[in-house]
Amino acid sequence: MMAGIWVVAEHADTALELLTPARQVADSLGGPVVAVWLGRQEAPPLFAHGADEVLVCTHGGDDQPLEAQVPVLVAEALQAQPEAILVGASLRGREVAARMAAALGTGLGSSCVALRVRTDGLVEMDRLVFGGRAVQTVVCTTRPQMATVAPRTFSPAPPVEGRSGTVRTLPAPPPSPVTVVERKPKPAVSGDVAGARVVVCVGRGMEREEDLEMARRLADILGGEVGCTRPIAEEYHWLPEHTYIGLSGQQVKPELYIGIGVSGQIQHVIGITDARVIVAINRDEKAPIFEMSDFGIVGDLYQVVPRLVDELTRALGK
Amino acid sequence: MPDIITCFKWAVDEADIRPQASGEVALDRVGYKISEYDRNALEAAAQLKEAHGGSVTAITVATPAAKKGLKDALSRGPDRACFVNDAAFDALEPAQTAALLAGVIRDRLPFDLILCGEGSSDLYAQQVGPRLAQELGIPCVTYVNRITLEGSTLLAERKLEDGIEVVKVELPALVTVLPDINTPRIPGLKDTLEASKKPVQSVGPGEAGGEFPARLQTVALRATSMERRCVRFPADDAGIRELVEALRKSGAIG
Ligand SMILES: Cc1cc2nc3c(=O)[nH]c(=O)nc-3n(C[C@H](O)[C@H](O)[C@H](O)COP(=O)(O)OP(=O)(O)OC[C@H]3O[C@@H](n4cnc5c(N)ncnc54)[C@H](O)[C@@H]3O)c2cc1C
Ligand SMILES: Nc1ncnc2c1ncn2[C@@H]1O[C@H](COP(=O)(O)O)[C@@H](O)[C@H]1O
Repeated sequence: MMAGIWVVAEHADTALELLTPARQVADSLGGPVVAVWLGRQEAPPLFAHGADEVLVCTHGGDDQPLEAQVPVLVAEALQAQPEAILVGASLRGREVAARMAAALGTGLGSSCVALRVRTDGLVEMDRLVFGGRAVQTVVCTTRPQMATVAPRTFSPAPPVEGRSGTVRTLPAPPPSPVTVVERKPKPAVSGDVAGARVVVCVGRGMEREEDLEMARRLADILGGEVGCTRPIAEEYHWLPEHTYIGLSGQQVKPELYIGIGVSGQIQHVIGITDARVIVAINRDEKAPIFEMSDFGIVGDLYQVVPRLVDELTRALGK
Repeated sequence: MPDIITCFKWAVDEADIRPQASGEVALDRVGYKISEYDRNALEAAAQLKEAHGGSVTAITVATPAAKKGLKDALSRGPDRACFVNDAAFDALEPAQTAALLAGVIRDRLPFDLILCGEGSSDLYAQQVGPRLAQELGIPCVTYVNRITLEGSTLLAERKLEDGIEVVKVELPALVTVLPDINTPRIPGLKDTLEASKKPVQSVGPGEAGGEFPARLQTVALRATSMERRCVRFPADDAGIRELVEALRKSGAIG
């Protein structure tokens, strides 16, 4: 028999977000919503946001990676036989989910952007393929049906007063063959590209790191944030990773996106499809970004951006 | 002297995919390429061999049409290739690919280290690597942007959302690499000529041992639509003024 829907997450925000689709799936398929808290911090108020049962992982020492929990989760899932398992698609979550799916002999829809329950009980999962050129809808024909879901795909489940349930602590996992020898935390996050009203996005058309100043000025006038393409963050390391936009980076939904020196490869622009207005400045008239822009200027960014800054300063009376 | 296996996919070049008016995705007139990040995995294998000796075997699961990809892969450094192919391998889902790779590797390819890309450029499921490790019962280290080998100990830097995690593992192990681990070489004429002389072992599904049922079924594939206004302004002062005016009219700026 079906034994409910699992939500597995290491971050509080994602856990609360995943309780939203978990509740929908549980309402159609029946069974409890079980929240499996993977995080090292204290669990968020999972009952208040819709969990019927909470399982908490027992972490080993600092040298144990989070993925060490896989054998425990697999053993528990074999026991409990959940109908579906939704895992928060943090990078660690993706590895955990793939290894669980392999161990459980089941299918996994990765980084799903939408979930729908069909009348036959299968969960349709939408995910991006071909760099974002297409949406693939899959169903998992084995049990448990598994999906990873990216952060911010769903709104957090609303809190309800007075809900409670049982918390169970899972056994400690065996020592992991992979041990952590050092953690180098990332410097504090500055600026929130994902929530910005205006995003000025820098691409490889920018020649020097100092020139980022130009993008900052443009963003400042518009009250926005500076984002970038993946190579700017990962190859050049000019901006932190959490500011790159696209398939493997952030999804943004600004009122205005201005791409400067961005070619518009599909893996990048799939992250800006929800932008209300897209502007492109690129010196190559054949750059694909022009086909996906509302407004475009074919020109050298070093000529165009400073003049745009001047014009905006005048127009906005700043 | 590590024996390294590097897994690469011969994937549809997404740049060739043009949405049809119907919203369907036509896959009949597209080119193929070595999946983007698998070039980084091939390069990482080549660099490890340069530093430590040993051997490199490139492996792919594909239809017989992927023969072209073998030569491309072999021109990037491996000593040999293993070609797991069948006409039915045109739309495998990650569980199947991982099971096939595991079946073939377990029986015929001794190894110390397996390298995969972070994700494939077509499906980008980020599953085959960790699944393969699980199937083979070996440790797995994902999202790696630096590898150091000291004898049979591997040190790796994982780049995660909250920073770098340096981990240690005894071989055998599987590692999935990020694109910033290296810059893949561009094969020259000599590399291409040498590639055609390297041995390729062809393996059919019957030899992979077992069954490989799909656990994920694709029920629809639709092109994403990115239609926009596509208005252009000239790059002079007048054009920039028009752009600002257009932004104001559309309510994008105050
Ligand atoms: C699986 C996968 C996932 C990926 N995920 C992401 C992702 O999440 N985000 C992402 O961004 N990328 C991602 N990529 C990479 C993506 O395919 C592109 O390589 C990347 O987006 C290109 O970045 P770019 O536009 O900055 O650089 P380029 O493609 O090099 O473009 C630079 C542009 O600048 C223009 N230019 C140069 N000089 C000037 C000048 N002086 N003035 C004006 N214009 C100029 C050029 O004409 C060119 O169009 C992914 C790739 C893969 C395979
Ligand atoms: N058909 C295949 N043949 C060999 N390796 C593959 C294949 N598909 C995926 N891989 C490997 O697994 C990685 C992740 O693929 P995916 O799970 O599809 O994102 C790729 O980067 C490759 O290294």
